[in-house]
Amino acid sequence: MIRVLSYSIISPLGETVGQNYRALLAGRSALAPYDNWHGVPDRFVASLFSREQREKLAVNGYSRFESLAIRAIEDALSRADVDIRSPRTLFVLSTTKANVEELGPTEARDGAYLAPGSTARKIAGYFGMTNDPVVVCNACISGVTAQLLADRMIESGYCDHAVVCGIDCQSLFEVAVFQSFKSLSPEDCRPFDIERRGLNLGEAASAVIFGRCDDGKDGAGQWKLVKGCLDNDAYHLSAPSPDGAGTLAVISGTLDGWDRDDLAVVSAHGTATMFNDQMESVALERASLSSVPVSALKGYYGHTFGAAGVLEAVLVMRALDDGCILPVRGFDEIGVSGRISISNREGRTDKSSFLKIISGFGGCNGALLYSKALAKTAGSGAAVKKNPQTVHSVRLTDSSLSIDGRNIPVEQSGKAMLTWIYRTMLTDWPKFYKMDVFNRLVYVASQLLVREENAAVPDVNRALVFFNRSSTIVSDRKHISTICGGDGFFPSPSLAIFTLPNITAGEVAIRNGYRGETSFYILDERNERLMGNIVDATFSCSDVSSMITGWVDCSAEDTFEADIRILTI
Amino acid sequence: MEDLILTLKQQIIDALNLEGVTPEDIDDDAPLFGDGLGLDSIDALEIIVILDKYYGIKLANASEGKAIFKSIGSIADYIEKHRTK
Repeated sequence: MIRVLSYSIISPLGETVGQNYRALLAGRSALAPYDNWHGVPDRFVASLFSREQREKLAVNGYSRFESLAIRAIEDALSRADVDIRSPRTLFVLSTTKANVEELGPTEARDGAYLAPGSTARKIAGYFGMTNDPVVVCNACISGVTAQLLADRMIESGYCDHAVVCGIDCQSLFEVAVFQSFKSLSPEDCRPFDIERRGLNLGEAASAVIFGRCDDGKDGAGQWKLVKGCLDNDAYHLSAPSPDGAGTLAVISGTLDGWDRDDLAVVSAHGTATMFNDQMESVALERASLSSVPVSALKGYYGHTFGAAGVLEAVLVMRALDDGCILPVRGFDEIGVSGRISISNREGRTDKSSFLKIISGFGGCNGALLYSKALAKTAGSGAAVKKNPQTVHSVRLTDSSLSIDGRNIPVEQSGKAMLTWIYRTMLTDWPKFYKMDVFNRLVYVASQLLVREENAAVPDVNRALVFFNRSSTIVSDRKHISTICGGDGFFPSPSLAIFTLPNITAGEVAIRNGYRGETSFYILDERNERLMGNIVDATFSCSDVSSMITGWVDCSAEDTFEADIRILTI
Repeated sequence: MEDLILTLKQQIIDALNLEGVTPEDIDDDAPLFGDGLGLDSIDALEIIVILDKYYGIKLANASEGKAIFKSIGSIADYIEKHRTK
């Protein structure tokens, strides 16, 4: 359990939490239709910053993305007593694509592109932060993963404060990804409604500063992040398991020992896609939460990706401070089969705890429990240090392979070598051929570990925790070429899916039926100590008992390295 | 029609990275999804892109294409009737 010291929101609806909250009370939304926006040929509806806002928020010498993050962090810091330069302060950036709008169609523009870890370091540098920052890149659940990482790192004693900033900007790149999935609504989105037609994109930044609960300060009346849980439903890369199993499991894990009657609301993901909302409703009913009011904010902000899990939690905290349950904008008539309590009118409550749930591409799900009540700290406490041991290890580069330290002769090199290993050493999984080179790398390395382990029964609760530097740069460049190249605007969905790095964990989870957490972290450079601390904190603060983890980087078709292992306790 | 079917098969093989599959391996009337080639929902979206890019046919979503996407033969029939390029 950690304390919320302060928070901020910068969105098209306002530059302070107060402005945002008042906009929501007034029923305002920044969702608007866009035609011929920044090279996107087809109309879409989104919540985007105006030109005036962009200019006002710009910080000299920093990109739009970096400026927005700086503004959000600066505002939150102004109300928190934190030594930002201390080595005991951790910076966690939650984003799906960071500076991707700087990535141009030609190599000539690539100089302007910054890998997410470098972007985070630049933002950290603005504030004089001294630690290596961690970028959480876990698709839509990044914001929840980032806050849970803050909790784990503080409870495990690796830091005293954590600055978590959830943020994404929209650009041609991301609009094209979601247009290719046909998941965008042609009108304002309608969460859980019978007429819902998909999601809207949104841009925003939201920061939360967390601190220890045992720092001797009086935390009465302050919000706490009590605990949380992540998992994977190992069902499909782009669709949730219809029975809601993944979401149900994270809810059960998070609310274990907690009285459901204490919950004021469940802050749902509520993307307004057919599958997500239906799945969430089924999970909520199965989790005995049918009578807890649902909060869903996509009708105000659209889907803000890396910001969503932070921004939505902050707004619910602010609203509950007023005893307010925010109306679900866009909802009118129930259109899901699971029984839930949902309303488009403002509600009142005197309760001061809530659950945030979220799901994303790659099959990942997350839940966080927040509370202002001090007395009840079920399931929390100082982390017990565990001692994970390496069972098997694989190191795979573009020209070499070693398993448990033994060199294995390989034929060919680069991507062709991965295909050769797949054909000669691994069992049949035709989906392999659909993967991009990065996913092939992680798949082959992981399956070599699994083969070496030769377990009679797979560990269904196994976690997959990967780190890299280059995110998905190879597929990012290819995706850009399908929307800016000479052939016109034809974004490819089977390519676009690989612009999210955590998809690779989803592939391995599906292949092996692993339903433990899948998390993807990006660092500016490989830092074994930091990676080890994150892995230790994950073991210490969850019921994970085995994990495939390590460095998996692919900077070009024929330049890659996977250095991963199976750990167990 | 023969030419169209062969071209379409190659376009699908290329777009879906069906490595090791040749046009001759795909039966004109065999189901594309579930059994047969074992395609999934992302592949269906990819076929929507093929229809748009090469034949000027716009489908809003995959469910609209359910009957069309039964087999290579049914997609080719649809292209013949609706192509704009």
